[in-house]
Amino acid sequence: MSRSPGASSPDELETRIAELRASVRRAMASGDRQKARELRAELRRTESAWDDAVLGGGSGDPEEGRGLLPVREQVHQALTLLGAPAAPKLIGSVYAAFFPGAIPGSRLTSLRRDEERSFRTAPYARPYYLCAALTADLLAPARGLLTVSTWPLEQRIVGPLSPRADFLSSAVRLAEHAGRGAPDPGVQRLLWRFASNIPGAVTGTVGTVDPAALAEAARAELDVHRDPDRRRRESAAARARERLDDAERLFGSRLRALRAAGRRPATNGETDR
Amino acid sequence: MTDTAPDLDRLRGGAPPRNHDARTIAALTSNPGCARRGVMDAAGVDKDAVARELGFPAPFGQSQFAITRGNAFEAQVKADGCAELLTLLRERLGLDVPEVAYDDLEVVAGNEGRELRHSRTRRLVARALENGEGTLFDHPLLRLEIAGHPAYLEPDVIAFQLAGRLHVIEVKSFAVVDGQAEPEQVAAAARQSAVYVLALRRLVAELGHDPARVSHDVFLVCPENFSNRPTATPLDVRPQLAVLERQLARLTRIDDILAELPGDLTFDLGESLAASVRAVDARYAPECMSGCEMALFCRDEARACGATGALGRSVRDDLGGVDTVGTALGLADGSLHPSDDLAETADQLRAAARLRAEALQGVA
Amino acid sequence: MSALSSLARLQAVAAGIAQPLATVRHCHVSDAPLVLVPLKLAGEAAAPLAVMLGSDPGDPSLLVVPQPRNRDLRFAFAASLAKLVLNHIETSRGAVEELPPGKEGEERIRYGDAPQLLVPNRGGVAFLRMMGRSTRFRSTEGPYAVEPAVPVLGRWLTWFADRHDHPGSSLMGAVTELLRLHWATGQSSLEDGNLAALTGWIDPPAGLDGPAAAARAEDPVVWPPAGPTTDPTFDNEVLAPAIAGYDRSGGDSRAGERLHAAIAGQLTPTWDLMWRAVGLLRALPEGASVPRRWERDRDAFTYYHQTFGEAYPQARRDPPVRAARRLHDLERAQDAYDAQRAFDDPLVMAEHRLSGQAFGGTVTECDPARLDETGKRPKLRPLLRVATRDPVRLDAGATVCSADRPALKGRIVELDDDGGVVLELTGGMGRKLVPEAGVVPEVGDRVCFTSLTEGSFGAAKFPDREDTPWTHGGPPGEYVPTDEDAEEDWS
Repeated sequence: MSRSPGASSPDELETRIAELRASVRRAMASGDRQKARELRAELRRTESAWDDAVLGGGSGDPEEGRGLLPVREQVHQALTLLGAPAAPKLIGSVYAAFFPGAIPGSRLTSLRRDEERSFRTAPYARPYYLCAALTADLLAPARGLLTVSTWPLEQRIVGPLSPRADFLSSAVRLAEHAGRGAPDPGVQRLLWRFASNIPGAVTGTVGTVDPAALAEAARAELDVHRDPDRRRRESAAARARERLDDAERLFGSRLRALRAAGRRPATNGETDR
Repeated sequence: MTDTAPDLDRLRGGAPPRNHDARTIAALTSNPGCARRGVMDAAGVDKDAVARELGFPAPFGQSQFAITRGNAFEAQVKADGCAELLTLLRERLGLDVPEVAYDDLEVVAGNEGRELRHSRTRRLVARALENGEGTLFDHPLLRLEIAGHPAYLEPDVIAFQLAGRLHVIEVKSFAVVDGQAEPEQVAAAARQSAVYVLALRRLVAELGHDPARVSHDVFLVCPENFSNRPTATPLDVRPQLAVLERQLARLTRIDDILAELPGDLTFDLGESLAASVRAVDARYAPECMSGCEMALFCRDEARACGATGALGRSVRDDLGGVDTVGTALGLADGSLHPSDDLAETADQLRAAARLRAEALQGVA
Repeated sequence: MSALSSLARLQAVAAGIAQPLATVRHCHVSDAPLVLVPLKLAGEAAAPLAVMLGSDPGDPSLLVVPQPRNRDLRFAFAASLAKLVLNHIETSRGAVEELPPGKEGEERIRYGDAPQLLVPNRGGVAFLRMMGRSTRFRSTEGPYAVEPAVPVLGRWLTWFADRHDHPGSSLMGAVTELLRLHWATGQSSLEDGNLAALTGWIDPPAGLDGPAAAARAEDPVVWPPAGPTTDPTFDNEVLAPAIAGYDRSGGDSRAGERLHAAIAGQLTPTWDLMWRAVGLLRALPEGASVPRRWERDRDAFTYYHQTFGEAYPQARRDPPVRAARRLHDLERAQDAYDAQRAFDDPLVMAEHRLSGQAFGGTVTECDPARLDETGKRPKLRPLLRVATRDPVRLDAGATVCSADRPALKGRIVELDDDGGVVLELTGGMGRKLVPEAGVVPEVGDRVCFTSLTEGSFGAAKFPDREDTPWTHGGPPGEYVPTDEDAEEDWS
């Protein structure tokens, strides 16, 4: 709570804060982002000076609870349970429902990049990598999906039918996993998210799910999707084995996609089904 | 069409062209007579930058709360392979969708190039029309010819194929409460969707199919009541389509406007910008404020020359189309003599002036 | 809009200040209205952020939801708001008037006063309507229990918003609308929606004219918007960091304090404007029929207050018969309100004169004692000739009445080409064969007659609820709130 020399009175600080707020807003309104950034930094400094002067020393940010496991272990566990490419949000929900603790969301965004860097520096130094799902047509990284490097390539490739097929197969796996014990409320909530979006999966009252009924309904719809989806994935996987190097197979091929697309725009898996 | 391209490039002053979106096109049709807007939009000029440079920044800032809410709702509806969206189509709208494919057209192998995305959109739509492949096409990139010039359209929608027919699905984060949403927001959504339907129809026609295979019923997906739960409402956009097609056909051809302009005109940011902008006629109306980045500049200009249109279209109509405040007041107080075609308007104005004076005199 | 009000806008442009559209005040203004300035979180249907409210300009209360996405905080806010609003409602009843018993001998009373809610604009009304909708079904017990005052507030807010739809009602007013009813500015109606710009035109601060004051008012940094939507740069640069700070602090008081101060800064200018607007309206003399309309408002309030305990919350949607009756009532109210304003105010009557449904002028000939003796008994039928310059669009045979004394009725006999109207007076002159003194205008008097009447729109009969025709779905089930209503998400 020490005042810096030349510290201003709370009144002066308040006036200054009001001025700075107005200037930041004006700068933003006129599109001058650079100036807005500078002003914003000064505003934050002035605000914290006001806090110190008026309200006393800060209490500090409460420590964020950290899980016992590293994030990549947590993600690996959730993905292993799901058995299919999944978005970070789903991974987080699955972990929260079935495992102790939670995955800090902010850490998930940079995960794939970190893993790729690690692989490129020392290939196969780790037992597994968390890597991309590949699009079936261009073998490029699919947006926002994570997979595990040890999965067969077919499992890590996504075609047009895969999002639904994977959603259904994950539902089956989670239901079976939950069915082994008495599902707690967190698991019920997660299963409800699946059941409410699968025809015939809701049998009881709103919000409660019978895992066996969920698995059965999911399997029924999965039957429609499984074979065409698998064919598409297998043919793309064969192509990937043939054309991609190790790193590309894990993290997808951006360069090749661009090159190929530039030369022959209407090519690659679009028609082989 | 190809001849105008170099002119349009020059107008932009070398800057890359801006994509159209349905909002800009829907707004364009709300004021088809505005040459300024027509030219700037056709050339893909960054009007926001121009307005800022002129000292009239567009008041279109968006709150991060609204943006976050919109993005979160859209992500939620599309999560897990569009699981919630699919449930809406199946249960709420009663559609029989046995097999569900999802194609992300927003990015092609990490590349967001417009040509690449558009050609992929074309390819997948062609395939869908020919053999019914594909169900949900997220963020297709379409093209639409605006005033004789093709514009890319960045629709924030999903195209949905079922039994050989295509539907436009638009996800919006305004709430539908007890089956009703704010009429202005629904109207804006309908206008935008109509642009997408039209662009999709043109594409279907180009591919040699019947444009009617794109349905005029679009599906609006919004949060229900005060929850985050989505609900779907079919919206018939035939009226909006009719207006749109008519307005697009009526749009003055850009070539014709360009032919009237000085050969060296450019909207490059710099000293002569204001003069360049003024060289192209605008037709300002208060409605411009909701859609056009140039609105504040044009309003200032319209006010400075005493245009009655700045007071609103209804005022201008009430004044029988008299363009300036000075003329109207002159006719009202009798200091100006009307031409024959304004005689009736002048009578009306004089009577109005007399009646106002009489009623106010009684008070004073 | 009409040529008359459009002309007023042009005159405002030329004069640089707003011009009157009315010579009297057409709305009731309470001695102590409850002024509410609500703010909501951008992008949400009904997530309240704050409201500044009170009936003393010097002593506003400020309620804030420090994290608008937190439903518990939202309901706590609703409970605090309920306390203040319900207290205002209960203390604004005045003394009870006993009325003569009704047709079936039932007791009838009317509260001597009623609460008046004022919000800045239509958006404010819409927001309170949404607040009402989102709170009136809440249950006070069970898993999602809220404080008992919350659903009560919801029902009252719904009722006030409903009365706002009623033409001529003053129970809930949007101040921009009230001002626009009385003044024309030199800007478009879109810009009139900005309370600060509108007041700037009507009553510019010293040293500024209307356009300059309005221009200043359009800078959201100088004049925060009057809500319920906040300015995006405020959201992004001030509000979002303050809310994030509150979240991080785990409910720490100084973070809450900072948020409070930031929001107060957005609301105070509008709060002051609201009272300035109230002052502008009060300064106008009250129109003659305003007390009568306020009496109808008090009747409506008395009825709702008296039956509150027996009724359910208003249904999500009106059943067919009620919807039809409501529409009819609104049309009747609109018709009566339009006519009353014209009779109260020569400037409003001027609109009707311009459209030809009324005419004013000087009496040039008069036969006050004329009798019509064609029937069995002679009837008093004075004749008048009025010279007018108005564009009369009434036909011979049309029934008219005097704008100054609507009881004086007449019939147009003849219209000549050079602005003469011959009029036969038919009623309102007393029962004898000689008119009462001073009733029939004399030569040289200025008169105004109009075809407008106040009660032309008769009441229609509607079937009872049980007799709802099958075309309208047959009799609807009685509305009973369900658990589902009560547990509706408010996320």
